[in-house]
Formats: sequence, structure tokens, C-alpha cells
Amino acid sequence: MSNVFNWQLGREMDFPYDAAYPDQQFAFIFNLNRCIGCQSCTMACKSTWTFSKGQEAMWWNNVETKPYGGYPHHWDVKTLDLLEKANPGGQTWSGTPKDLKAPYGEFKGKTIFEAAKTNISPEGAQKALGYLPTDEEWAAPNRYEDNPTGSEKSQRGQMSFTSGEVSAQHKTWFFYLARICNHCSYPACLAACPRNAGYKRPEDGIVLVDQERCRGYRKCMEACPYKKTFYRSTTRTSEKCIGCFPRVEGRDQASGGLPMQTRCMSACVGHIRLQGLVQLNKDGTWKEDRQNPLYYLIHVAKVALPLYPQFGTEPNGYYIPPRWVPRPYLRQMFGPGVDAAIERYSVPDRELLAVLQLFGKDQRICFRYEIKKGPKVFETQIRGRKFEMFDDTIIGYSKDGTKIVETKIEEPFHIRPDKHANSI
Amino acid sequence: MHLRYDDDFVEAAAFMCASGRRHGATALQVRRFHSDRETCYAQSDVDERNAAFFKVHLAWFREWGLEHLLTGFMGEYPLLPGALKVLAFRQARGRNEEGAELYVSTGKVRNAMVALRMDRLERDAPLLRFLRHEFMHLHDMVDPAFGYSPQVHLPTHNQTQQRITRERYRLLWDITIDGRLTQAGRETMAGHGQHQAIFERAFSFWPEEKRRHVFESHWSDAQPAHLELLALAADPRDLSHAQEPLPGGSCPLCHFPTFEWVSVGGLAPDSLASIRAHFPHWTPDQGACKRCAEMYEVAGKFELPATMVV
Ligand code: SF4
Ligand code: SF4
Ligand SMILES: [Zn+2]
Ligand SMILES: [Zn+2]
Repeated sequence: MSNVFNWQLGREMDFPYDAAYPDQQFAFIFNLNRCIGCQSCTMACKSTWTFSKGQEAMWWNNVETKPYGGYPHHWDVKTLDLLEKANPGGQTWSGTPKDLKAPYGEFKGKTIFEAAKTNISPEGAQKALGYLPTDEEWAAPNRYEDNPTGSEKSQRGQMSFTSGEVSAQHKTWFFYLARICNHCSYPACLAACPRNAGYKRPEDGIVLVDQERCRGYRKCMEACPYKKTFYRSTTRTSEKCIGCFPRVEGRDQASGGLPMQTRCMSACVGHIRLQGLVQLNKDGTWKEDRQNPLYYLIHVAKVALPLYPQFGTEPNGYYIPPRWVPRPYLRQMFGPGVDAAIERYSVPDRELLAVLQLFGKDQRICFRYEIKKGPKVFETQIRGRKFEMFDDTIIGYSKDGTKIVETKIEEPFHIRPDKHANSI
Repeated sequence: MHLRYDDDFVEAAAFMCASGRRHGATALQVRRFHSDRETCYAQSDVDERNAAFFKVHLAWFREWGLEHLLTGFMGEYPLLPGALKVLAFRQARGRNEEGAELYVSTGKVRNAMVALRMDRLERDAPLLRFLRHEFMHLHDMVDPAFGYSPQVHLPTHNQTQQRITRERYRLLWDITIDGRLTQAGRETMAGHGQHQAIFERAFSFWPEEKRRHVFESHWSDAQPAHLELLALAADPRDLSHAQEPLPGGSCPLCHFPTFEWVSVGGLAPDSLASIRAHFPHWTPDQGACKRCAEMYEVAGKFELPATMVV
């Protein structure tokens, strides 16, 4: 075991390997307020990478309906349960937030690596606390997710729906949680592999499984708390999201050599997604890069938060939490940063509103943005706070300075010339 | 009787043990299991590789006592080993897929397949409850005294009636199964109370006393028979013996249950002719429901095929 610094937890933690950080890290933000659960991302991924024999039950990208849904079934509840059992009542946060090194304060509980010592599997202590889902749990994504109250536990046929009438009126809430591999800074999948088949690319931090080395131990599937590695029955090896690395490297023809966002990001109908590459310091914290949209949203505006940071893998997937969901649920899922994030997102300031326009605008990766100020066009009160809207212009640039996006806050107004018969 | 297993069933079962989701595997065993598996990857021919994996998985499946667990109590079902050529196990991907099926080939060879979800293998007691219940289904199906036939409905039934009959039949059969298992001192999938509650809902149209009597007689029936269960499931109101149309009986024309019978004597001659044109064997004493009467009345007037009037 080594000691590594996990900035999302604001402290050092145990990890089976010494810290080693890539030059830049693949990271992404999903704005859950905007996901409509259309599964375009899911199918974009499937039709690109997992359409072959043996990959039928493999969903590198999935979108599940919370709170009831999960793929594999109940993945997060099961892992949270294991952690709670390992450290009853102790999974708490406290301490003062510090920029970059402890933006959410300090996590006082146990990560999956720290709790693993007490979780003895047949081979002794696990590397990371976890469980291996059954094939059935993998078999069907989105099972029963949108049923108001379950037929799952009741009888077959006409005797189903025994308790359908007891729904709590007007208390219903749900949201869609889109998920891919988080290309974690401290990947549990990698930590648990007895054959060192998992590795993290030094050039962009994308986590891959070497198919030549993998011998199907399924330890990664047991250890990954997000359950994002999958067993392929035909090759009997584990496969996982590859972060569309050829696109990220700029090898997709359509990008003209510029780094490009993954398929799922580009296909998103709801424009909820923004993926990029961020610069890291030697200690794994984020290098200041004020005009990088991810850096801004995560470390300056602090509206985007890691998914289940308490697991301890330092996931590189971040989420703008949905405003309407009960806060205790969100705090459990995204940590103590939730309240401030929602507060800022609900009444966005001038810069935040502009940066949010970058989501889904172009397939290429935006490394830097610039805002050109425009006139004030609107003013109102939102829950007692003043909100002003300016018709600013935001411009996004690729790695080499090529301009890839230019868009305004207000929708452009197009006037059709009157030479057409149907012009009015 | 031969035992057979699906490839992915033994593989998943072995991993249940190796990962500790099912207790009992030692660290040394798990290491040997993985090193046995590792050798299989070297096989370049796909079929040979699959065969090699199956061999390793099956060996560990047996080593970890799963074969014995699944079939060790077969002695409780004396007819099965002689009656079945093959008893096979496979993975079910959901609750609806689970259960035992009997397959009878043209040469009267009988094979059975038991499908179960893998998490059943986590703990012995719930697994055995499930298996004992399913094996009892199979045992009944091969038992001449039970007299099983796959036709679980009446020839005159429409599709909806067939479905309802099948559901009632399964419900009654399950009651007799868990009743007999309870009698034999075994734990069951559902207890007396649970079965009774389901039964009460399904036969709610009976008076309370009749419900209690019929339920108890099935729960304690040591020798249930297919035809009796079927008769009760197919016609619980005993409508087929009624001399005249009864409320809730099915209309002979459209087969939907009806509470609105018309007096056939009051129908116009055109309507009667129209009905007879479509149902040559129909006689007025069989009656007709109000919907049908209306439809054939219109059909009679317009001389159009009844199906076009709707
Ligand atoms: S999400 Fe899971 S599979 Fe992806 S890097 Fe993290 S631990 Fe590995
Ligand atoms: S494509 Fe976008 S909006 Fe649609 S389900 Fe995926 S993340 Fe949600
Ligand atoms: Zn049954
Ligand atoms: Zn009718």
C-alpha cells in the first residue's frame, strides 16, 4: 500500500500502487438538469464499439433512472452498503474547503481501498472493497426503472401489481443518470487486477485493459465501484470504455487532426455533455488553467461535482446535480459540494451562463474559451436574487488555437429574404 | 438420467464461488481455479478453447459441491431418474424465465430443463426451496397418477380464457405442491398464508366458505390430479353445466363474458338470419350478449358482412 493524495477527499489515502499521473487527464462534465434519457449516447457507443458477438450485455455508456434504476442492478446501493457495513456511521465529511486541494472539505470515512482490508474474499483481503455482479444483474439495463411501483417482487400474471395504489402523491421525483467509465485517477479496476492487465495511459489518463494480458479473473469487475468493466463471454476477457481514444488523439478524419470528444459526448441530443483534457500538477491536483471550461466549471464555479467521491477512486466524471432532487440523496451521490453547486447553477452569473453554452456545440475538444461582452438584455429576480442576462459571445479554441465554437447567449434571429413565396 | 449444464451456467456458478459470493472456496482453491483457467486461453481453436473452459468450470463446479447441492436430494423424487433421459440446468436472466420445463420428443423421450437465476446459488436454503418446488412440478408431470397433459385449457376457450385458465391452474398446482412439501416437513417457496391470500384474490367470486374449503382441500391434497385441477381452473363458476345463459357466462358468439343477455325471441328475423349465417350451429336457447345482438341487428339491415359494421 502507498499513500496517495486524493484532492476530491481533501486528504491522503491508501492505494495499492505509488501515485503516477498522466501529463493531462481525460475528464468530462454531464449536466443532469438537461438529460432527457433518450439513450442516444448509449446507442452511439454501442454502434461504435460493442456491437459484436459476446458484447450483447455490454453497455460502456448507460443511462439509468434514479433513484430506482441502476446498471448492473443496484450497483451503487450495493457498494454503499458494503462501505456502511465496513464503517458503520462513519462515512462523513467535515473540515474547511480549500481551493484545488480540498474543494469539498475532508472525507473522514473509509474509501473502498481502505475498507477492503476488512472485507475478506476467498483469496484473502480484497484490493478494493467490492462485489461481483451476477450475469443476470448485467443482463438488462433499465429494468423496471420507469415503473411507478414494482411488479418485480409480486406474482406472475394477473395477480401482479399488488401495491400499485399506494404511491405517495406529488412526492415523486426522478432523474436520468448518464454514466461511462470515469477513467479514475486511482482506478480500482487497475488496482485489483492480478495480472496487471489494466493500465492508465500517460498521455491522457484513459484507462484501458490489455486484451493480451487479461485472463478473465473478473477482479476488475469486482473492484470497480462504478461497475464499468465488463466480461466478454466469447473471448473470456474484460473490456471497458476506451474513452474513444482514437478521437481524443485527433485521429478521426472529421476532426482535421484536432482532438475530438468521444462518440457519446458528440451524439448527446440534450447537449448535456462536455468532455476535455485537463492539465495536472506533479501531485495529481489540477494545474491552474483558468480559461479551460472544465477547470472553470469544476474548480472556479464549482457547479460540477464528482460521482460518489467517497469511493476514493478520484473519478474524472463530473456532474451538475439536478436541482429538484432531495438534497440528502444528492449529497450522498456527489458529496458536500451539492448545495453550493445548485445555488450557483440556479442563478448563474455572467461567466457561468456563457460557459454553459459550450456544451454540445462542437465535436472537437475545447481547451480554452474567451468571452466578448455584450449588452444587458434581461433582468429578473430568481428566488429573491437578482439575475441579469447579457448577450455575451463565447468563443472556444482547440489545442492549437483554432477557433472551434463561437456562440451568443441569445438565440440568433434570422430574417428570411422576402423573395420566397412563403416568407412573411 | 444424465445431468447436463449450459456452459455459462457452470462458468457463472464457479465464479460465484471464486468471488466469495457463495461461501466455501478456499484461497488455495481459487488460485488453482484461476491457473486451470489460464491454460485454456492458450487454445487457439475457438471450439477447443470453449470445450477446455467448460471442462475446467465443470470440474470446479463439482469440486465446490454444486452438483451435489443441485441434485443430491433427487431421492425425494423417485420417478424422475427413470422417467427423464436428461436433466439440464441453465441460467435464467430474470424471474419470469425461471422454472422447470418438460420436453417430450416425438419418440416419447422426456428431457427436463431447470432454469434459475444465479443469485439463487448464494445461499443453500432458499435454493433448495426453489429446487424442491420445481422438481415437484417435474415429478407430477411424469407421474401417471397425476395424468399431466400440456393442454391446460378447454378446446372451446378463446385466448383470454386460455390465459386465465393457465394462471388459475398454475396457482392451484402450486398450492398442492407447497402443501405436500409442507406435509413432508420441507421449507417451501411460499407458506400457507401467502398461498391463501393469492387464492382468495383469484377466486374472490366464490362465497367465503367455499373458498376456505376448496383452498384447504388442495393444500392437504396428497394426490392431486391434472384433470381435477383443470376442471376447477377452466370453469370455476361451473357455467358449462348451466341450462340457460347465466350472468358472467360467455356469449356463444363472441366468447366474452357478459352480464347482459338479450331475449333472443325479441330479435328481428333479419338479425336471426344474420347470426345463423355466421354461426350455423347456433340455436336461440344458447342466447347472445347485448353487444352481439346489436351488431347482428345492424348487419342484418345492411346486408354487409358483420365484421365490417364495427
Ligand atoms: S470507473 Fe471503474 S473501470 Fe473506469 S477507471 Fe474507474 S475503476 Fe476503472
Ligand atoms: S444522449 Fe444526452 S440527453 Fe440523451 S440520454 Fe444520453 S446524456 Fe441524456
Ligand atoms: Zn410452481
Ligand atoms: Zn357476444
